[in-house]
Amino acid sequence: MAVAFGSKARFDDLRLSARVFLANKSAVAGLVIFLGFLIVGLLVTLTPGLMGIQDPGVFVSNAFINANVANCSGAWPEPPSAAHWFGTTEYQGAGGFGCIDLFNLILKAIPVDLALSFFIVLIGAGIGTVIGILAGYMGRYVDEGLMRLTDIFFGIPFLVLAIAVGFVIGRTLLNMAVALMIVWWPLYARYGRSLTLSTKEMAFVESATAAGSGRWKILFKHILPNVLPPIFIQISLDVGTVVGIFSALAFIGFLPTDANLPELGYITNQGLTLAPLGYWWTVVFPGATITLFALAVNLMGDGFRDVIDPRRRS
Amino acid sequence: MKLWVYVVRRLILLIPTLIGLTFIVFGLLHAGGTTEFIKDYLNPRLTGPARQAAISDLIIRFHLNEPLFVQYFYWIRAVLGGDLGYTAVQGGVPVSTALTWFLPNTLVLTVFASALTWILAIPIGVFSAVRRDSVIDQGVRVATFTLYSMPIFLIGYGLLVLFGVTWRVLPIEGMLNEQLYTDLPSSWFDHSFAVSSPTHILMFDAFIHGYWGVAWDAFLHVVAPTLTLTLALLAGIVRILRASMLEVLDQDYIRLARAKGAPERVVNNLHARRNALLPTVTTFGYLVASLLGGAVVVEDIFTFKGIGWWTTQALLMTDVGGIMGTTLIFGLVLVLANLAVDILYGLLDPRIRY
Repeated sequence: MAVAFGSKARFDDLRLSARVFLANKSAVAGLVIFLGFLIVGLLVTLTPGLMGIQDPGVFVSNAFINANVANCSGAWPEPPSAAHWFGTTEYQGAGGFGCIDLFNLILKAIPVDLALSFFIVLIGAGIGTVIGILAGYMGRYVDEGLMRLTDIFFGIPFLVLAIAVGFVIGRTLLNMAVALMIVWWPLYARYGRSLTLSTKEMAFVESATAAGSGRWKILFKHILPNVLPPIFIQISLDVGTVVGIFSALAFIGFLPTDANLPELGYITNQGLTLAPLGYWWTVVFPGATITLFALAVNLMGDGFRDVIDPRRRS
Repeated sequence: MKLWVYVVRRLILLIPTLIGLTFIVFGLLHAGGTTEFIKDYLNPRLTGPARQAAISDLIIRFHLNEPLFVQYFYWIRAVLGGDLGYTAVQGGVPVSTALTWFLPNTLVLTVFASALTWILAIPIGVFSAVRRDSVIDQGVRVATFTLYSMPIFLIGYGLLVLFGVTWRVLPIEGMLNEQLYTDLPSSWFDHSFAVSSPTHILMFDAFIHGYWGVAWDAFLHVVAPTLTLTLALLAGIVRILRASMLEVLDQDYIRLARAKGAPERVVNNLHARRNALLPTVTTFGYLVASLLGGAVVVEDIFTFKGIGWWTTQALLMTDVGGIMGTTLIFGLVLVLANLAVDILYGLLDPRIRY
């Protein structure tokens, strides 16, 4: 595994990895859907006009939805049609109820969800991994201290901890992201620690020590290259999980009911009040978008896991 | 190291974890500052000097002018004595009382859901692994992946619409049919708080007192939340079981069993399944954490009055006492469950010594 970057052996290693991944059809499908989401997110952010969005508005603000009512009319949600592919849904604005094109709204929500979930997972994973590697590598008192701290945060179900944090710092979309970051790092601390511990015992680390390499050199040159790949895979899996947790938090009322945010969980949640009246599409389309994204990420992550599992690559 | 040494060590290590946990909860309680903290204890009709006097009384009563660390010790002493303050649910009751009302319902929900999860997960996971890549295995994989990716409230709402609206076979809201409440005698049912005694679980209490119809209806109200929680958990457990079973089937001793001519059924049931179940014990911790987190959402969907419902109500009502009480109890349950899992694993696998 620990091969110098750019060498022939490294190249063969990559080619074998690619072959293992491509052999897994569902993983490839997951990757394609995931890339599709990324491309849609980029297009909506960079060229909203091309995606049929007249007024991109300002992300994460109330004015966002209110600015975009021009493309639909009618007091109640309309079913899917040629004009509105996913139908229309309702929102509660400052001046009463209004309606909005659901396809348009989902498109606008995709970059918001992607950005927030990447933001949460990367920061949470960053903090957690550093703590975990330090604990695993330094051992002794550092390990005991850091792991007890991790245990405390691990001791509260993450949804409850997120609620409690949100309760203290206020219930807004950005604070929801901050709350989830605080919830997210302990997982990576544990994972990073166990990976570091198993790598530390390997023969090549011992020979590096015997050859006179310093502690920090060993850490960066030998430990990190072996700890980081599994961490990256966990990150890729978690990006899908976060979107689901977002929507769960939106569902239990973490966000104010008149927030009007272009966020998939929030949109689904708004639809849940309309669906019992027969407007099924207000839940089905945003809900299916969340599920499709999480499914793609899970399939892709499973494929990645096969790639680094030495038993699967022969 | 012997097992009991390990258990004692784990119990000692529990102390800093509990101190940290309570410190977080204490921090939550005081994050809003003095005014927020005494808000619930202050008579809103008081004005002028009388109000000032009441505020300073409260500051002295709760030691709010002492350093935070000293306050923490006063608070811990009160908590150990069972005094957790007040929560706004049900019109304002002590947190400790609310705990005894809501915790039993959550226990029923989580125990039922985890039992059902294991009853379903073991045969599905084992069968799927044994018939690897068959049509059924593919179907199981697609279903578990999809369920695993679905937000739990969508599963819940799907079941709610299916059972409650389309088929109309199950009640989907609350703990009991509204009309049945009036028949309940006040000797064992407190009508003002809708709480039954002695177990505080309506289904069991009605059964004890011989109200069969009420007990049956209360049971029906538990079914939909239980199914939702089960479906949400099932996917993850089946995936772990299947992977574990596949790994075991690849071991040398399975090959040996086949080589000596043992029939496939014996190999699968006797040699493989038992060994495949062992690693999944480690997932008990994961199971408990998902159960508790899932209970919050599920109880909210079905207005099922457990700790999770209380949590969401407390969030909506900005009820400090409720948030504190629920965080504390969720934390305690999870910490103790993790401890139990570690000890259980040590007991089950003699190779593991600490």
